Amino acid sequence: MTTLTLNRFGTLVAFLLLCIGFSIAAPQAFASQANVFNLVQQMATLAIVATAATLVMTIGEFDLSVGFSASLAAVICFVLFGQGHEVWVAVPVALLAGLAAGAVNGVLVARFGIPSFVATLALGTILSGLAFGISGGQSLFRAIPDGFKSLGRGAVFGVPVLAFWIIGVLGVASFVLTQTEFGRHLRAIGGNAQAARLAGLPIVRDVIITFAVAGGLAALAGLLLAARLGSVQHTMGEPLLLPAYAAVFIGTTASPTGTPTVAGTLLGVAITGVLVNGMTIVGVEPFIQRILTGVIIIAAVLLRRIGRSAV
Amino acid sequence: MLELAGITKRFGATDALEDVSLSLFGGEVLGLVGHNGAGKSTLIKIIAGAQAPDRGEIRIDGKAARFHSPHDAYAAGIRVIHQDAPLVPGFDAVDNCFLGRPYPKHFGRIDRKSMREAIAQVAEAIAPGLPLDVPVALLSPTQRQFVRLLRAVADKGRMLILDEPTAALPAEDAETFYDVLARTRDRGTSIMLVSHRLDEIASFCSRAVVLRDGRVVAEHKGAELTVGSLIRSMGGSNEVVPHRDTGAATAPVVLEIEGLRTSELRQPVSLQVRAGEVVALYGLAGSGRSHLLNAIWGAEPVRGGAMRLVGATYAPRNPRDAVRVGVSYVPADRHRSGLFANLDLVFNKTLPLLSSYRRVAALPLPDRRTERSAFLVAAERVSMAFRAPGQLARTLSGGNQQKLVFSRWANRHSKLMLLDEPTEGIDVMAKTTIKEIVRAIAADGNGVLVSTSDRDEALQLGDRIVVFRNGAIVRTFTRAEASPEALSAAAQAREPVPA
Repeated sequence: MTTLTLNRFGTLVAFLLLCIGFSIAAPQAFASQANVFNLVQQMATLAIVATAATLVMTIGEFDLSVGFSASLAAVICFVLFGQGHEVWVAVPVALLAGLAAGAVNGVLVARFGIPSFVATLALGTILSGLAFGISGGQSLFRAIPDGFKSLGRGAVFGVPVLAFWIIGVLGVASFVLTQTEFGRHLRAIGGNAQAARLAGLPIVRDVIITFAVAGGLAALAGLLLAARLGSVQHTMGEPLLLPAYAAVFIGTTASPTGTPTVAGTLLGVAITGVLVNGMTIVGVEPFIQRILTGVIIIAAVLLRRIGRSAV
Repeated sequence: MLELAGITKRFGATDALEDVSLSLFGGEVLGLVGHNGAGKSTLIKIIAGAQAPDRGEIRIDGKAARFHSPHDAYAAGIRVIHQDAPLVPGFDAVDNCFLGRPYPKHFGRIDRKSMREAIAQVAEAIAPGLPLDVPVALLSPTQRQFVRLLRAVADKGRMLILDEPTAALPAEDAETFYDVLARTRDRGTSIMLVSHRLDEIASFCSRAVVLRDGRVVAEHKGAELTVGSLIRSMGGSNEVVPHRDTGAATAPVVLEIEGLRTSELRQPVSLQVRAGEVVALYGLAGSGRSHLLNAIWGAEPVRGGAMRLVGATYAPRNPRDAVRVGVSYVPADRHRSGLFANLDLVFNKTLPLLSSYRRVAALPLPDRRTERSAFLVAAERVSMAFRAPGQLARTLSGGNQQKLVFSRWANRHSKLMLLDEPTEGIDVMAKTTIKEIVRAIAADGNGVLVSTSDRDEALQLGDRIVVFRNGAIVRTFTRAEASPEALSAAAQAREPVPA
């Protein structure tokens, strides 16, 4: 029982140790209000993309197009701004583009049986081409309405706006996965797709919806990133892909059966975020930061394996 | 050759094995039988070196051997062949046999020719005709089983432990398999055969040891080695199932199939199931009966013909349609098609009818408490043994896993229940319970279709028995007409028997 408890909460304990460690090493810089504010802002986009990845991994698939969807949505939104459109036109159109891209992924996987790794990689490549073409390869930053920027900047009651996005999106995703019939379906499909089909679940529909939602969430993350930065490059979403999956995998170590959960993913995002932030403050060189991050991901998964075989 | 003396193994407070002694002689086939949980798996693991006994000794050729790891047991010539031991699908038999062994070299290059010769020589002796140069993915399950045997024997295996070797094989291949096994034995190899198929143990083994509650309770040989004696020693009931007369012959028709065609059926199928009636579909594996069930369940496309369910046209496009109109289904091969092994028992039970456990009817939010109590009721109904509703399905024994799949449909009145190999791979006691459940389902007025490759089961359960062979119905028996011999004759016949 103790081993099991340690197993489940080991990842959480590791996160707390990390925070305590950096607080001791750099009490002024790390634990300051400004830095925590900053940290939350940096984590928000990644947390939402990682949630998209979590949903898709729950049904046992991969979506490698999330970063590209994020870029494309941001590009579409800013090009529409450039043409003089309002926020309430540009934002829904951009989100719909992400949703549609995700739905195409879902159809390729569920209807045509293309392995998700291949389908989403191919579609992602197409999306990146579209983003390149639509943006003309230029950085976009003109005629951005202030109302849009406020979606990702500033604070309400001293709490960064992006923190509310994290709470809202992850809260809803977690509720759907754990409390609704749809969420049960997703866990069943991930657990045993053949058995789920034979039990009469509408798995084609469920898989398409899951990919569509993942695409929509990726688009939302792209828009929030664009709002915070105030400018858009057509490649800006791509660096989100690998850290998002790293976060999901770290998160799986917090679940007893090794399945992805939204809470675990948030923990994974927080661990990688704190790690990079803390190391920067302490003055670790960027190349060492990357190496250490990789080592820590392997260590987390490895520790879990050892813990599990001991049970 | 191999001797176990006083092997004892405890897990916590429970004795997995208590003072087990047995010996395996050169060139003999020893049967090992017992219910699930009797200690067979633990014993196999100890022989294989995967677990160390708490007490007792293993002797090889009279000398005490101590296995610290499976590697030590391997070095001693012991080979455990599990029912689905993995092979590399893209490798042929020769390459699979050389996996993990040093390759013969010729000027630094792998010497394929001498590899093939070495394997061909053994193959010639035990399984002539086995294709050696074809990727094993293209071989039949039976041929792949031969490759596993070949691999064990070719690498100096002297003592083979076969764990349910025929469970995944089509029934018509069992004989070929045992021919190969006999030739292996005749080369001086010792074989320990672990199987639920008691008839195979009785007909093929020279001796059989029965385990019960971790102890050796009997050894049968010669004329007293029969299915009946084994069942008695195992502690199961040697049941002769009294068949009730249901009067189903006049009950309303639940399912009516007319000229149904699918790509897997060689001839159109017509069939009727009445309320309260169990219709058994009997035939060898691959005879088409499972495809018929799948088509009725909406899981396989229908090419023509018509179905009616309680008088209404019934044409399910997918299993969801079938569930909705009151059809239930328990698939064969629960591991692949039925269970969610890493999810808990309640999850497994409520999934297919999840929307009936809502707290508020309009919201798709399952209510955990309703689910839990429905699970407890259903578990009671199928007499499932479990620790806690929240335990993972994979931690149940095979029989209880099957009951879990049954329990999904236990809280509703199904018009039609489809069961595919409902007692496959579970122990004799669980089999009896499952058969009682099937009968209770029919007695509630449901129509039941049971597909089975077990002849006795077809006889015990079926009010009518429809025999399939080679993708077509060859004959339909009423209870009165059916006999074991007649069923076998029909299922094996070369030409369709006129009905």
